Amino acid sequence: MIAQEIRQPVIWSALAVLALVLWLASGSIDALAKFPADWVLAPTAVMNAFMERCVELFGPAFKAVGWVLEWPVRWAQMLLHALPWSVIATFFVLLGWFGAGWRLALFAGVSLLYMAVIGYWGESMNTLAIVLISVPMAVLVGFAFGVLGFYSERAKRIIMPILDLLQTIPAFAYLLPILILFGFGTTVGLVASVLYAFPPMVRNTILGLRAVPGEIVEAGVMSGTTPWQLFWKVRLPAARKQVLLGVNQSTMASLSMVIIASIIGGTNDIGWEVLSTMRKADFGASLLAGFVIALIAMALDRITYAYAMKPKEIDGPARSPWIVGGAVLLGVAALSLVIPALNEWPKNFVWNPAPAMNAALEKAVVDWRLWIEAIKNSAFFYVMLPIKIGLGQAVSPFTWGFALTPMLKAGYAAFVLAAAGWAYFRNRATLASLILLWGVVSFIGLTNTPWPALFAIIVYAAYVTAGRGLAIGTALALAFLILAGVWPQSVLSLYLCGIAVLISFVVGTAIGIWASESRIVSAIMRPIMDTLQTMPLFVILIPFVMVFKIGEFTALLAVIAYAIVPAIRYTEHGLRNLPGEVIEAAETIGCSRWQMLLRVKLPLALPAIMLGLNQTIIYGIGMLVIAALVGTNGLGQQIYIGLGDGDFGVGMTAGIGMAAIAMIADRMTQAVSRRRQEKYGLEVQAV
Amino acid sequence: MKRIKAMMLASVFAAGTATTAFAADPIRIAINEWTGQHISAHIAGSMLKEMGHEVEYVTAGAVPQFAAIATGDLHLQPEVWSNNVGEIYPKAVESGDIQVIGDLGLKPSEGWFYPPYMAEKCPGLPAYDALYECAQAFAAADTFPKGRLITYPADWGTRSKDLVEALDMPFQPVAGGSEGAMVAEMKSAVAAKQPMLMMFWQPHWIFADLDLDLVEWDKATADCESGPGQKRGDACGFAQATIKKIVSGDFEKNYPKAYAALDNMRLSNDIQNALIKKIDDEGVPVEEAVAEWMAANESSWKGWISGSGSSDASSIIDQIESLKASVEKLEKMLAQ
Repeated sequence: MIAQEIRQPVIWSALAVLALVLWLASGSIDALAKFPADWVLAPTAVMNAFMERCVELFGPAFKAVGWVLEWPVRWAQMLLHALPWSVIATFFVLLGWFGAGWRLALFAGVSLLYMAVIGYWGESMNTLAIVLISVPMAVLVGFAFGVLGFYSERAKRIIMPILDLLQTIPAFAYLLPILILFGFGTTVGLVASVLYAFPPMVRNTILGLRAVPGEIVEAGVMSGTTPWQLFWKVRLPAARKQVLLGVNQSTMASLSMVIIASIIGGTNDIGWEVLSTMRKADFGASLLAGFVIALIAMALDRITYAYAMKPKEIDGPARSPWIVGGAVLLGVAALSLVIPALNEWPKNFVWNPAPAMNAALEKAVVDWRLWIEAIKNSAFFYVMLPIKIGLGQAVSPFTWGFALTPMLKAGYAAFVLAAAGWAYFRNRATLASLILLWGVVSFIGLTNTPWPALFAIIVYAAYVTAGRGLAIGTALALAFLILAGVWPQSVLSLYLCGIAVLISFVVGTAIGIWASESRIVSAIMRPIMDTLQTMPLFVILIPFVMVFKIGEFTALLAVIAYAIVPAIRYTEHGLRNLPGEVIEAAETIGCSRWQMLLRVKLPLALPAIMLGLNQTIIYGIGMLVIAALVGTNGLGQQIYIGLGDGDFGVGMTAGIGMAAIAMIADRMTQAVSRRRQEKYGLEVQAV
Repeated sequence: MKRIKAMMLASVFAAGTATTAFAADPIRIAINEWTGQHISAHIAGSMLKEMGHEVEYVTAGAVPQFAAIATGDLHLQPEVWSNNVGEIYPKAVESGDIQVIGDLGLKPSEGWFYPPYMAEKCPGLPAYDALYECAQAFAAADTFPKGRLITYPADWGTRSKDLVEALDMPFQPVAGGSEGAMVAEMKSAVAAKQPMLMMFWQPHWIFADLDLDLVEWDKATADCESGPGQKRGDACGFAQATIKKIVSGDFEKNYPKAYAALDNMRLSNDIQNALIKKIDDEGVPVEEAVAEWMAANESSWKGWISGSGSSDASSIIDQIESLKASVEKLEKMLAQ
């Protein structure tokens, strides 16, 4: 422990010096500033060759599978289109009612009515059809792997990293290989959504089966069950809730993937509508279509969640409501034969507020122009540019109003040294060395930091937070990025995502704290967060571009809009679910509200907040791909270049790169969170 | 909605019969994301319907559609822009999985567009030479003192950037990210009368909404090569794209008459722009707008079908070219 305390500050300071020296040297040695192009091993060529071989060998088999898979979707579409809208709407209302009462029924009813009123009924049903087929497939596959992973430790060790990869590789990156293998059509969306939706099912199945108390299993064994009975009659019913939560999460994942996959085309679904309106920059229409998706998602989420949480009736007289429900459905169907408006939503009743919404946005842009410019410029000059190209270049008469003279540079150096010295003499050597490092990197700028120095800094940070294993993994992943020739793009992604995560985390935690103290804030935030999380993210981009123009600032805002949600959620959740005894104890010794928050609640909730940070990072990285649509130059853009050129290797390299960064960040934050948990003897569950 | 329902049912039944009777397979036409293409596709489709073919419209992404046409999942795409095709397309054309049937007749113009009020701030426009003097009029915070030039998204190539570098212009290229982002920027810039210079293309529906002017170069040559070859005082700007009609490899064999009619089909910028305005501005559905046009222009599309119509010089050149191609194909087969 003592050795560790001395070693850390020394190494951090050494890294700061290394960065500075290499940066000074990079003026004369090009290889330091930029990884030499000759050293780049092009993995893309290998990947493309591999893919071509795959297509040659298995192409026909995949095509055949694709052809078979097309049928269930077509049947589902046929069924949903043949049924009158009123029957489908009634069905969902009944489903909601039996699941969780009249509130959910009302919500489901309003959601479906919205689809019809806004004129997107047909497209919505096409989307629903794919989800309807993909969810059972994902659930079956996920359940099978989950059970396998539960019984066999070895299988689990293989399955888990694959799940990580499937969930962190940006969805866009695996559309192309699926398209190449399965051929054009609805199948692409179906396969992609199954691939993306089964991992949560696996995780929840394993989690649920593990959590079955040993006494229950023992009781089962003692009463002489066969292994088969033990599983189906004892373990599974006991794990029912968690497994059904898996179904819920799979449904949500499937829906979000179906929307992304519509970029391929083949189905006239609601995702295609969103993409087309987004292409036209038709803000109003894209928002309206986006709401359809958010509503479908929320309705499916609430309904599946309700059934997962519902206590199971043992004796099952529960059949009668379904008979009533069936009768109601038949009644509505019969009515719709008589009243055509119930069969097909009348065209005259379609309401289209999109033009008015567009006009309002345009007016806002014109009226608030000066404010908008001021916000954008100050964020750009004082935050983004310094981090990107360093204070050394960012400070100029145009940006900050004065030039960075040698005097000022000396002053900056003196200030950093003084701060470090102050920390050192207060016995916080590690902090002092980190201040040094920060001082050097923010002067040079992230994109100008020589790659060997940045490599060393990140690997050491991984070592300090999570130990040798992660350090090795990090080194390998970074080496992959460097050798694949996408290091500059990776650093740009790191820069954009880093700022976004920082802001999301600070602001999100603050809102989360506020929401945990105030019921009103909490009630206001919840629907906003649900919408941000379920709406296709393209929709957010258009208004941002219209207000803030193409460029990194807009991309930053888009990433923040998405990544801030988990920061808020986890903070609120963590603060609201603290051990009651501790709070009571603090109350009896007479803590004030602020003391309670700062001294008791926040430290206890820290592990949960750290998990929120973890999710914020993952979400931020995921959003980078979408943000590239408003003009960034990071890894996200590479994925489109791959997709646009039909180049499997380019897209996959960037995808793996992003997955690697996400996983490193995930392991680091989890390690910190775990350490805090152990310190306080707490246990945290995912929200 | 009714249309969609009918379409869905039709597609389901059509696919059901597809396995039993190959000839009854409907001609599947790709529908991309922009209005101009919808018009071309629906005109082609309506014409084929008049000829007695069954037609199905399938939504397809601009790049994924090539994979679909190459495998025969889709049959026809009447409006392919030669500058945005990716890698699958040239490979498939080379192998014969996709067959090109000549120009559609649209004359695209690509280049740097600006709103007319910028000519007041930069009097020398539309000559590109004026941009050297008044780059600051186009500047923004993130590019100052250089002017801000929105280019195509990074995945569409780097022609504007190359040109800025070759001509040493005081402009900073900013990648547009996506068509939606570019259009959004255009709309908001014009609404607030802000400076704007953007690489864009015509025909495009935005020109039904906004008035934009094109920067002019020293000369306009057909074989203009974008990039390092150009110099100030001797710049030709950009190589202009061509717009082709393409079909799947076995289309000519399966539908010879449809193939011939498509070969004769010609549209013009004026036709598209008028229809685009009707659809995007006045809110007329594509089907209705196209049906109206079909009714009013019976002679042109009947001419395409009978082959007696306007066989202008370009179509003769096309025919010679396609003849050449088929001769080459024959030679290849003979060589094997």
